[in-house]
Amino acid sequence: MRLQELISFGNNWEVSMASQFIREWSGIQQFPLATQDKLLELLGRLKEKKKDRLMILVMGKGGVGKSSTVNSIIGEREVTVSAFQSEAPRPTMVSWERSGFTLNVIDTPGIVEGGYINSQALDIIKRFLLNKTIDVLLYVDRLHAYRVDSLDGKIVKAISNSFGQEIWHRAILVLTHAQLSPPDCLSYDEFLARRSEALLKVVHHGARFKKKDIQKFSILVGLVENSSRCNKNEKDEKILPNGTAWIPSIVETITKVALTESTGIMVDQKLIDGPNPNDRGKLFIPLILAFQYFFVLQPLQRSIKNDVKNEVNSKWE
Amino acid sequence: MLTVRFRRSTLGRMRLSPKLGSMAREWTGIQQFPLATQTKLLELLGKLKEKERDSLTILVMGKGGVGKSSTVNSILGERAVAVSAFQSDVPRPVMVSRERSGFTLNIIDTPGIVEGGYVNDQALDLIKRFLLNKTIDVLLYVDRLDAYRVDNLDRQIVKAITESFGKEMWHKGVVVLTHAQLTPPDCLSYDEFFARRSEALLKVVNSGVRFKKREIKGHSIPVVLVENSSRCNKNDSDEKILPNGTAWIPSIVETITKVATNESKSILVDQKLIDGPNANDRGKLFIPLILAFQYFFVVKRVQNWIADDIKKEPKSPWE
Repeated sequence: MRLQELISFGNNWEVSMASQFIREWSGIQQFPLATQDKLLELLGRLKEKKKDRLMILVMGKGGVGKSSTVNSIIGEREVTVSAFQSEAPRPTMVSWERSGFTLNVIDTPGIVEGGYINSQALDIIKRFLLNKTIDVLLYVDRLHAYRVDSLDGKIVKAISNSFGQEIWHRAILVLTHAQLSPPDCLSYDEFLARRSEALLKVVHHGARFKKKDIQKFSILVGLVENSSRCNKNEKDEKILPNGTAWIPSIVETITKVALTESTGIMVDQKLIDGPNPNDRGKLFIPLILAFQYFFVLQPLQRSIKNDVKNEVNSKWE
Repeated sequence: MLTVRFRRSTLGRMRLSPKLGSMAREWTGIQQFPLATQTKLLELLGKLKEKERDSLTILVMGKGGVGKSSTVNSILGERAVAVSAFQSDVPRPVMVSRERSGFTLNIIDTPGIVEGGYVNDQALDLIKRFLLNKTIDVLLYVDRLDAYRVDNLDRQIVKAITESFGKEMWHKGVVVLTHAQLTPPDCLSYDEFFARRSEALLKVVNSGVRFKKREIKGHSIPVVLVENSSRCNKNDSDEKILPNGTAWIPSIVETITKVATNESKSILVDQKLIDGPNANDRGKLFIPLILAFQYFFVVKRVQNWIADDIKKEPKSPWE
């Protein structure tokens, strides 16, 4: 255990050192001009509201496109992506700066392994995030999937248990593989609506949103197509089947969420440890003690005294 | 013109087991296919009849939402099984039977056996009961081509099928990959992607079935591609084709035919197969040996020791 602690301490130290050497966001120049303009405009909006840094956490099952999405948003191949291999076993943070604004994106390993929540991966992620403040959570899944089941519910619950329910007030549902031909008898928009609805239902349930929460903090949905074969419009921007340029669109959604009034989620030790079970019902202890003294102990003592008095003395005493 | 022919055996089976499902109707769906496909299919049926096979029973299994029901509908050429993109599949197994020129095709569609990260034992049980006393000629194990990860859950599914129906079922197995009309991820050609996906899935299947190395070499499980969407590309003969140009409906039926007529026997699902090996039979042979051992080496020895102790015991004054 000590060795693990040393290694994780070393990692955290490295990361905090690395974030001091934040690189210039050169990837933004990879985008077509139209996209660049929109992105810089959104950065400007954030700075107006006096927000000069953004911390984005990307989580989800394995193989859904988390690393690809991070690379697409950053504009360059910052995180390694391989179609068939499992992702990196530990989280990585990518930090970029542009005109005084710092963007941090944290890519994490998939937290589902073989039908189960991978507690180890979740643990590594929690330790990585210690003392960081999360502004936006990107919960990633594939648009091109047909079933939602209790496993998805478990993932959502695991995230809630690790970082608190409030993280879902700052979450975006990101659906990858958005450039799909829908199944027969459904239009693209119908398919998208039903897929989002099914996933959001599970997220609301797993995050234990009450009905008023759902209306107040309705989770926004972002569509993403990371393939280089993504269709493009005349301005050379990558577009979805409904014509929207998706990179500015998702960054706009991220901006919206980042500017909500609540503060970001500060991941401190207390949050990670969760509520202390020893604290539950502590108030009852003196009450129970008092009850036991007056209603149990005293009557017993009196009964014993009575028995001693009433006892018939034998001849030899 | 719809002709419904009642075969005496079908009728007999119906009386004995009302749960048989639909009776064998005329395979009208075959006329939906373009002529080129129809011709190839009839040719394959002819080959089966040459080998004196006049019926074929195909079992379709796999996770939920991968395209089992859609594949059944595509092969039959009609909407025989209900398909819904978002709802769970059939709650119970369904057998669809179609007849053509004296040949009967039975396809058994099953519910997905994975639910929420676990193998759904209830579904597996329903399937086992449905298959009692049926003979399976081909097993279609269905999964998506456009998935990137293969994990322990897939192995669990394969294990569950093996434990339920025996290893020999996989000698009649075909791996079916749906959503075959995909654009592969960057840096991989379609063929490379297909090769790696098949390899990963076959590795897990071989591992889950616990095939020994020589068995794998002898009977490698074939992999076929399927695209059930109506947006599937077509060739000049109007046949649905894969990105590599093959007309996939005749292709899968050909593979099914090959597997159905291979050396391995078809699997009769009887009570014994379903129950599995009787745990009480294990090591029964050892029982008399152990009894003999106990008698000669333990019982006799202890009796001798007790006799010795009695002899050596000093007698007390009052005896």
